[in-house]
Amino acid sequence: MRLPPGVSSADFAAAIKQFEDALGKEWVFTSEEDVDLYRDSYSPFWHEQEEPIPSAAVAPDGVEQVQAVVKIANRYKIPLWTISTGKNLGYGGSAPLLGGSVVLDLKRMNRVLEVNDKNHYALVEPGVSYFDLYRYIQDNNLKVWIDPADPGWGSPIGNAVDRGGGRTPMRDHFDAHCGMEVVLPNGEVMRTGMGALPGSKTWQQYRYGFGPYVNGMFSQSSLGVVTKMGFWLFPEPEAYLTGTVTVARRDDLIPLVAGLAYLMNSSIVLGTTSVASPLNFLRADAELAALRAQPGGPSTQELEHYLQEKNMGYWSVELPFYGPAKVVAAQWEYAKEKFAGIEGVTFKEGTMHRFPVDPKDLPQFQNSVAVGIPSLSVFGVGGARSEGHVWFSPIVPMTGEAVLEAQQVFTDAYKEMGMPTGPLFFLGPASNYPRCFLVLFGFPIEHDVEKNKKNRENFKHLIRVAAEHGWGEYRTHTAFMETVMDTYSFNNHALRRFHETVKDAVDPNGILSPGKCGIWPKSMRKARA
Amino acid sequence: MASRREFLQIGVAALALPISARAGLAPAILGQANESTPTPLYKVIFDERFASSRAFADEVKRLGGSVYGIKGDITDLWFTDLDARWKREPVGIAGLTEHGPLFCLERLAWDHGMRVVYRADHTYRADGYMEHELSGSERMLREAVNISSSGPDWGNRTASLLTRCPASKAQASKMTVVTPTLQQADDPEHLVSWVIAPVGAARKFSHS
Repeated sequence: MRLPPGVSSADFAAAIKQFEDALGKEWVFTSEEDVDLYRDSYSPFWHEQEEPIPSAAVAPDGVEQVQAVVKIANRYKIPLWTISTGKNLGYGGSAPLLGGSVVLDLKRMNRVLEVNDKNHYALVEPGVSYFDLYRYIQDNNLKVWIDPADPGWGSPIGNAVDRGGGRTPMRDHFDAHCGMEVVLPNGEVMRTGMGALPGSKTWQQYRYGFGPYVNGMFSQSSLGVVTKMGFWLFPEPEAYLTGTVTVARRDDLIPLVAGLAYLMNSSIVLGTTSVASPLNFLRADAELAALRAQPGGPSTQELEHYLQEKNMGYWSVELPFYGPAKVVAAQWEYAKEKFAGIEGVTFKEGTMHRFPVDPKDLPQFQNSVAVGIPSLSVFGVGGARSEGHVWFSPIVPMTGEAVLEAQQVFTDAYKEMGMPTGPLFFLGPASNYPRCFLVLFGFPIEHDVEKNKKNRENFKHLIRVAAEHGWGEYRTHTAFMETVMDTYSFNNHALRRFHETVKDAVDPNGILSPGKCGIWPKSMRKARA
Repeated sequence: MASRREFLQIGVAALALPISARAGLAPAILGQANESTPTPLYKVIFDERFASSRAFADEVKRLGGSVYGIKGDITDLWFTDLDARWKREPVGIAGLTEHGPLFCLERLAWDHGMRVVYRADHTYRADGYMEHELSGSERMLREAVNISSSGPDWGNRTASLLTRCPASKAQASKMTVVTPTLQQADDPEHLVSWVIAPVGAARKFSHS
């Protein structure tokens, strides 16, 4: 049996016995076969000693059992790594950052506690998946939408506390939450916001309660175990309409994104959209491949001409509109006016969908997630056999200039690292969050130790290149958390030092998710110095 | 180009290798199933887009099995069928699909006390051969070698193999065979045949 670092086999055996007494033997997993299921399916450490493998896993079924687990862990100084449904693939999955940690698996806490379609909110436990919550709403004929992450098997709580994003107007998942229940590292239960008021009638309506607002301390955090969380839901809209705006030239990106930013910041467009170019999906086209093979690559004029010959624009955005049919039609008309000044701009109106939608009409949605319906279609794309990926995901300003600069900077960095590039090669940029763009790069994982080592070094290099240009990661795989936190270094790492001060005060034994986001407890900081 | 002699040699050489638990099989926990008793299959999953997978489904139906067609995406299968079924009781499924659907179903099955007990990765090669990477009990692998040798009918004949797959507790093994098999027009380069079955002492989260 693997051991947590610094814990004797006698102490670990005693802790396991106490976990079993508290949870029941069947909910404490110590066999290699069971524990292996918590390994990262997309681990960048395949076949390497460095792969962080848990020592055991425990699965409580309620807040009292979570408290018991935390108290036992404190007694024996056992590191815990909390997961909800553990489907955070590309960012570490269910595997801990620190090998030998005990996984605190909250999957059994899967109760939908309340869904209200008058004030439009839900209160759920961490083991509830997007599918579970959607099913509850459908079964009870409630007129609200959820905002699923792209793979619907994830947890609303897990995704929100990791600050994941979706596609509907409630797409900033942490921003959409209202009220938490948290088990603190000493085992005490705390409720935030109006939940701190016994008998409160507005825990899921008013976020802030009274006094300092602490909820952010529990996102991407190692300061507590979130056991309940409220979410604002989107009232089922009357209609959903998309309209696509296409521009002809590379530099048209600048007015295109300026118009988009205006529409989004004015709350006229509220869902996620991304700036797309046919150059991405035409990569295999022979003519484009020949242009790319030229010394120095294709010029902008050559690419524009190539696309004109194919009667395609250089960039497009698909604008989503949600609301009453008359309103979304007017919003689309207004959006067209905003872009009309771009020479050669074209517009294409999509189908106006009405809700509730008949299930037989669902296939007409290219992406059901955009209308609040969870899906696993992202795994059905097919193509080459893949061993997975990790996400490189910097945030860049929502301007055309910034996107063009990012394209150039990352293309140069890829070339420097000897990695393949295209004229455009990252996904997005997408508006999963207000006021900025998220760009996503899928870094391949392979069952090849040397390639993975090289990819990890490349990944760290990209983090630093991005930081040098003022672009930070919004989230990262556990393997790169320390590198990312290193880049948030203003005033001699004042932010990390503050986090460490809080960590040491709230979790003096350092039992909760040590190392998460580069924040280590005092005892481990000394050992790592 | 591989010869028949080559693939037999590959097979014999690989037969004794224990499989890594990372590949989806967990030999020590493969439960109390009798190795000679086939796993009852609740549904057999096929991909409507691919010729070999359609032929596989036709044969499953001919054998009396229940099939479910997908087009790469398992969302409907999961939401309208398996989620509720597995919450009541873990029941076996099998399929001939691309990797993505198996990847999802395997992980969803883990929480219901089920594991992949047989898996074969079928990869068309440019030289007119197909590589079959097999993992499962030795008995299954012996049968799979014969099936894999059947050339273009491999998809069809895989159906009868999967319907005879036990949730075996035998030591899982790996082997690779190479057979002359031309790629069918609408088949992808890589397909996977697989069986997911309840195994005795496996970790289980489902509630009845």
